Amino acid sequence: MTGRMKQIAGKLLAGGVTACGLAFALNWYSWIPFWAFAAGVVLAFPLAVLSLFLWWMADEGEGDIPFIGY
Amino acid sequence: MIPELVLATLFGLLLLGIHRKVIARIQRRPGPPVWQEILHAAKFSFKTTWIPATASGALFAGIVLVAIGIWTAAFFVMMTGGSLLVIFGIYMLHKIVEHAFGLSSGSPYGKFGGVRSVISAASEIPLFVSVAVIAIFTGSLALSDIIAWQQVHGPLFITAFPAAIAMYIVLLSKMPFGPFSIVEAKELVSGYKTEHFGAWRAGLEVCNGLKSTVLIATFILVFVGQLPLLWMVVSMIAVTVSLSFACAITPMLSPFDSVTIQSLVTGVMLLYAGIVYLGVTP
Repeated sequence: MTGRMKQIAGKLLAGGVTACGLAFALNWYSWIPFWAFAAGVVLAFPLAVLSLFLWWMADEGEGDIPFIGY
Repeated sequence: MIPELVLATLFGLLLLGIHRKVIARIQRRPGPPVWQEILHAAKFSFKTTWIPATASGALFAGIVLVAIGIWTAAFFVMMTGGSLLVIFGIYMLHKIVEHAFGLSSGSPYGKFGGVRSVISAASEIPLFVSVAVIAIFTGSLALSDIIAWQQVHGPLFITAFPAAIAMYIVLLSKMPFGPFSIVEAKELVSGYKTEHFGAWRAGLEVCNGLKSTVLIATFILVFVGQLPLLWMVVSMIAVTVSLSFACAITPMLSPFDSVTIQSLVTGVMLLYAGIVYLGVTP
């Protein structure tokens, strides 16, 4: 279990950043319309941000049971 | 526009930091530094993270992506002068996101926060009747058209003052520590976000930063108009400080009182919209 989430996050981070960069570059050279660039970033930006955090986090813990009331 | 997106997130977190600082100073506390929310996001991103055993894994993680995604879309709509209806549609979607945050965790505190989010939506969303007043005056709901209208006729803040007040209450409802912040009241620990810790909470902080920037900037664009960048920044800080004053001197209302007050304002706004409609349309 340990490290699995980080490994997946690393791959998703690479994918997310690549997708954002690709959308930006294609729009810069007017190969795709602005709405396509925006749609690409709306999908890829959250993925890149969250997977960045999951990739560089200190460690991965085991799932626990939160306090569910008395 | 990706650098602007990142800057908007950081600026939104800075606004939330200013909000906390102003509240603290009014209450005669030193308060955190203004960049505390940025530090918060960074700190949470480094923490050990997992998914609670009681959570619905896909929803627990996926909802963080949705939260950032919808406000990224709202940012693009605002920057391109798109429809005000889309931005407020995203605001409505955010209430569903809060609900999903709370329900996905399996914690009773999160669930209560999620339920309160839906309760508050019932009174916050009708406040958008003020949008109808804007449409009556300007004949459009596109931000670019509203800005162009104000360049000719002056700020809507003066022309449609009650609508600005109603929208201000919507902003106040989304500010932390405010009178209407029933979704994250202390009796619920942190409400809907209680179990989202570590990297998940850092993602939520990114969402909150973007949301603050988009909502406050949209408020200024709709009621004051397009300003030069420096004045836009100054105005956004001024609006934030005024919201902080309102939050600092007002106790958090009970869910019932919160919904009642917002509903009363909605009633007044409906009356105002009716009068404006009869007065403006031939």
